[in-house]
Amino acid sequence: MKFSYRQHLLRITLLWIGVTPLSGFCQQIIEGQVTGPQDLPIPGVNIQIQGTNRGTTSNFEGEYQLVARPQDTLVYTYMGYISQKVAVGEQTQINIQLKENENSLGDLVINAGYYTTTERERTGNIAKITAKEIELQPVVSPLQALQGRMAGVEISTGTDTPGAAPTIRIRGQNSLRSEGNYPLYIIDGVPINSTPVESKSSLSFSGIDPLSTMNLSNIESIEVLKDADATAIYGSRGANGVILISTKKGKGQKGIQARVYKGVSTVANKLDLLNTQQYLEIRQQAFVNDGVEPDEYNAYDLLLWDQNRETDWQEEFLGGTADITDVNISAQGGSDQTHFRLNGAFHQQGTIYPVDLQYQKFTGGAHLEHRSKDEKFQLGLALNYGVDQNELMAGGVNFRSKAFKLAPNAPELYNEDDSLNWETWGEAGLEHPLAGLYNKAEIKSHNLVSSLNLSYEIILGLALKTNFGFTHFNSDEVVKMPQRSYNPSSMPLHRSLNTQSQRQSWIIEPQLNYQHQWGKLNLNALLGSTLQENQYDTFSVQGENYVAEALIGNLGAAESLLHAQAKNTQYRYQAVFARLGINWDKKYYLNLTGRRDGSSRFAQGNRFANFGAIGAGWIFTDEAFFKQHLEWLSFGKLRGSYGTTGSDQIPDYGYLDAYEATPGPGGLYPTALANPEYSWEVNKKAEVGMQLGFLKDRIHLGVSAYRNRSSNQLVAYPLPATTGFNSVQANLPATVENRGWEVEFSSDNIRKGNFRWQTSLNMSFPKNELVSYPGLEQSPYAHTYREGHPLNIALLYKYEGIDPETGYYQVIDQNGDGVYDQEDKVVIQDRTREYFGGIQNSLSYKGISLQFLFQFVQQEGSFADIFNAGFPQALTAEVDQNFSAYQQVSQTYEASQAYSRAVQSDLTIENASFIRLKTLNLSYEFPLSWIEVLNLSQAKFFLTGQNLWTLTDYKGMDPDSSVGGTDFSSLRTLTAGVQLNF
Amino acid sequence: MSTLLLGMLLTSCQEWLDIEEPDYKLVSSKVFDTEETAEAAMQGIYNQLYQASFSAGWLGSTTVLAGLSADNLELINTNTFDLLGFQNHQLHPENSYNEGLWGSAYNMIYMVNSLLEGLEVSTKVSPETAQRLEGEARFVRAFTYFYLVNLYGEVPLVLGTDYQENAVEPRSSKQAIYENILADLGIAANALGNSYSSGERTQINAYTAKALLARVHLYLENWELAEIYSSEVIAASGTYSLPTDLNEVFLANSPEAIWQLSPIGNGTGLTHTNEGSVFIINPYIPSFSYVKLTADLVNYLDEEDQRKIDWIGYHEGLDVYHAYKYKIHNATGEATEYSMILRLAEQYLIRAEARAQQNDLSGAIADLDQIKQRAGIELLSESNPGISQSALLEEVVNERRKELFTEWGHRWLDVKRWDTTEQVFAPYSPDWESTDVLYPLPATELLSNPQLLQNAGY
Repeated sequence: MKFSYRQHLLRITLLWIGVTPLSGFCQQIIEGQVTGPQDLPIPGVNIQIQGTNRGTTSNFEGEYQLVARPQDTLVYTYMGYISQKVAVGEQTQINIQLKENENSLGDLVINAGYYTTTERERTGNIAKITAKEIELQPVVSPLQALQGRMAGVEISTGTDTPGAAPTIRIRGQNSLRSEGNYPLYIIDGVPINSTPVESKSSLSFSGIDPLSTMNLSNIESIEVLKDADATAIYGSRGANGVILISTKKGKGQKGIQARVYKGVSTVANKLDLLNTQQYLEIRQQAFVNDGVEPDEYNAYDLLLWDQNRETDWQEEFLGGTADITDVNISAQGGSDQTHFRLNGAFHQQGTIYPVDLQYQKFTGGAHLEHRSKDEKFQLGLALNYGVDQNELMAGGVNFRSKAFKLAPNAPELYNEDDSLNWETWGEAGLEHPLAGLYNKAEIKSHNLVSSLNLSYEIILGLALKTNFGFTHFNSDEVVKMPQRSYNPSSMPLHRSLNTQSQRQSWIIEPQLNYQHQWGKLNLNALLGSTLQENQYDTFSVQGENYVAEALIGNLGAAESLLHAQAKNTQYRYQAVFARLGINWDKKYYLNLTGRRDGSSRFAQGNRFANFGAIGAGWIFTDEAFFKQHLEWLSFGKLRGSYGTTGSDQIPDYGYLDAYEATPGPGGLYPTALANPEYSWEVNKKAEVGMQLGFLKDRIHLGVSAYRNRSSNQLVAYPLPATTGFNSVQANLPATVENRGWEVEFSSDNIRKGNFRWQTSLNMSFPKNELVSYPGLEQSPYAHTYREGHPLNIALLYKYEGIDPETGYYQVIDQNGDGVYDQEDKVVIQDRTREYFGGIQNSLSYKGISLQFLFQFVQQEGSFADIFNAGFPQALTAEVDQNFSAYQQVSQTYEASQAYSRAVQSDLTIENASFIRLKTLNLSYEFPLSWIEVLNLSQAKFFLTGQNLWTLTDYKGMDPDSSVGGTDFSSLRTLTAGVQLNF
Repeated sequence: MSTLLLGMLLTSCQEWLDIEEPDYKLVSSKVFDTEETAEAAMQGIYNQLYQASFSAGWLGSTTVLAGLSADNLELINTNTFDLLGFQNHQLHPENSYNEGLWGSAYNMIYMVNSLLEGLEVSTKVSPETAQRLEGEARFVRAFTYFYLVNLYGEVPLVLGTDYQENAVEPRSSKQAIYENILADLGIAANALGNSYSSGERTQINAYTAKALLARVHLYLENWELAEIYSSEVIAASGTYSLPTDLNEVFLANSPEAIWQLSPIGNGTGLTHTNEGSVFIINPYIPSFSYVKLTADLVNYLDEEDQRKIDWIGYHEGLDVYHAYKYKIHNATGEATEYSMILRLAEQYLIRAEARAQQNDLSGAIADLDQIKQRAGIELLSESNPGISQSALLEEVVNERRKELFTEWGHRWLDVKRWDTTEQVFAPYSPDWESTDVLYPLPATELLSNPQLLQNAGY
């Protein structure tokens, strides 16, 4: 008897987790195998007890096992196959054969936030990825896991520091204010403030990611809502798209899963720089060319420093390996009416830099689902808690830029006792390049996201539902600045910067849902409302003159406290929203959504606004004509949508005419002009799309075209300084347009026997344009934006060549006024990605499966960092190889001015397109017969790689950080692990 | 319950969105609801004078920029093009330091106007306090306009806070601006007491107002009034005197100080003055220093002049002379030096000039000798008691330069009012044009306020 051990174990497990009393009395264990055509086993089939969330999936031999009652019905579903239902009755062994389906899109359920739809029926544009693609990625932020996987979604991390907030743009930048472009994040129905949390560490640029405390293994799916049809129900917060994160729920599939992986990260690239001998030759040449006598001030590297010393600073600063460890355990179980899932995880990541820093994340989650016997009442509770402990550098030392700055013969950085070698550097008149090295930020964040959903079916088809949500985010940061970080001659003190931030929110969303069918007319109506309150508090203070380094951070031990700053803000929001979805014969679809929003961020009189959208779909392949004449076309849908959304991403209390405390003690002063008139930014979105399925839906193709226009831009309106300030917040008739194409393609290439090969591709062709901006020239954006061009541009001088007289780079002084300034920067470089996308392949044969994702991007960047030949700093090896392309080697002021203009010219424009093997995942599932003796139901071994290979012409470190050339954002990571299911 | 909630929310009222004011902002109308917060608004102006570029004493201040424009200061490193423009009189309307100078002055004026408007409608602040605060605030407005009108000529006279009106305010005549300055100072002199009630000379009192009145009248060539007001300040010998040791002049609350700014106002915990930090050569990395004294000024002072010994420093590494009136480059802890704005020596020089102009030569000699005596140089009463009026006025010119260098652009404004710019500046500034006496209005101002016209020559 094949399953006897496991039956036994299952019963023990049930006893052990103490849920048996909750279960019905006549439970029996059902087991069996699911096969497809030619009796080949199908792995991954979803087997669910009808009317419940309970169920299991088949293993790679197609086998499954679950507990059910005789009166239960089992539902077998699998993408590409026709679902089957089997009543349990007295059976204990149910083998089933599934038939291939012509049209499976109806099975793929899509979360649209307040309601669900299916891939077949959706009228809006919603992209989805599931746990399978997310959970094994060794990254900290869930958003990083989306890179390359979704059309229209652009994610850049900008840094390799764990915990940093990535930048995400859904269909481009809508607002002129960079801080007005965050999408709305929703976890299990609860909105999370998407603005990064302030930090004084090396994260100060990007801020702390409010999602970093999420456990990637605990995410069931991430849906991204893009067009008006999908986002208008989020009204004033939908302008930049919506990201819905659903955490895993218990499915009644009893068991325990444990997974561990470990790995390492390294820098993926290295630039070829001059060695000491080559470098010194160039430096000497500079003095010869300039006819200047080298002295200790201008030629310390030639006269003071060791001429034979050679350090590979890239190796020294960036050559380390960072360890990654990830442990994840989950348990689930339950009875007929009640399921639960518990989850705990630990993630740790080191650093590649020559400092001892750790990132650690502990997360715990609990899910409880309950439904009454008559199925009328349902309850869902989700608790997600995470603790982040992040150690970061905080002294302004950037090893990434230092590795490309220091001359190869630069002296030793440390004394023998490991302290910084101030003297040698001081002798050369230089500040130590690692001044600030020992400054360290310790950030502890706690994040609780909880939600409770209650629903009750009052009469058939009419359900009353209420969501409650509560979130609490707390971050405690101490930046420790010990004396030894700084030059002793400046008489530094032990100091600390303590910052605390707290974000708290609650939300209540009661909803009425009505469903009815009249003949061929189906109706789905929703009416709901929202009350939300957010509280945000920050406090920061600087502690100065601690007696000992060990006491730094403990404010009680500081001699004096300075710059105490506290801020609390409150934000309230209320809304009414509705949806009316109707379809005729499941062929013609109409979806109307709308929302009326009120926000406390605006002054009385401007607080309310209405938003709404209309979406429609036509499944034309269900028409008789197509059925008869185009048999190869298994599915075809045309859809379109139009509507408005808004953005209230502006500072709280901006309309208040108020005084604040001056930086100096005891004073109050007005800090800005108040404009009580300002109102929402409005974003109008239009989209048309087509979805096609070929060859019994084994091939899918989706194409959409969109155009989003953001107007009524809330910007700093320029004023003459005689008003006391330079600007006032006001709505301008400036318009930003994002338009483009998106293509999604997937294909079930081979499905033969135990072998399966699937390919999916997504591609986006975005265009961004500042359509109009009256008064741009006097605005604070005068040197940032240009009308008729994208927002992401660089304004550059026109490079003219090397001046034959001076031998220096020459750029054109356009207006001939003898001064090089903004007026002369006439070259407009578009830095928007021309197109981007990803191709994923999944292959599986028996227990082996292989997935790999290539990310590709077509874009322009710049290379401008390391060719200032003649000056005491690192140089690219090309300077030595291709002399004539560079200006005359020189160390004069004029040469450095010429260089600094050249790097702000179109000389630096480089093609920064690339193709990158973003992720690779190889796994092997051990046959059941091997692991049975260990009481395991599944055992899997896996290898994961990230950023393993890149193809690019770009000369810099990383084409994903394509400005400058020495920056990089992604590390090469390799991990290996095992997953065991009990 | 949910039905109830839903029903309630659907018809919910707008009051839900009326949130409480945050604890880090105080609604403007409430600032003047209590004496404490009204006082804090004035303290805010004092603090912000130490943040505002035109008055803070740092690179963008009147002291440094007008010093560069005159013949007292020079850049050590000529890389900073925007600073160089002041030195060689090649200013562009886009100059960022010029923008800061202009903008920070008008920001200060906005703060004053906001306080005056608040006091006007307030019923909660006692008349005595209101009167005092009004006097202090009006003084700051007059002081700020004094520099605006002298650096830029005719400027918009903004006396309220309505940005829609102020955004289109045209230039006012110099006369109108001076009338307003005199009116503000007159009210201040009447409203304020004679003592420093806080015990610190950072507070504006009646003498502060009179000291500035003396200067304004001197500039307007109202010699008699200039003499009257300076005499009143000089007569307050219980409060003001000239310390004999020149190293003590710029100390906090020095007996010579009529009005000082405390570096505490910067709020950083650093307690040195910006002047000290900008003029003294950086002791750690000398090449990080910006300005030095011109050879012309250094040679102008006699070797035995105590001011050359005490107020001028020399840095060997860079081979430069630097102003050394303030002795501290950087400090934390208690502030021992304050940034000087008005001091007694200037009052003697004002009176000397006013008296000389009115042909009271002996009176003028006596005043000048007060300054010369402290500097340890030969007294006029001994060397040349029968000096002619014109020669005596020449003595005033010389003495003002020697005494007041690197303080608040005195030299630049003096040469302009004496109308000798051509003789003084043209020789060392090859591109000198007569229109260089006024700085340009910032380019952004002209763009955003169509009522404004640029100064001639730009």
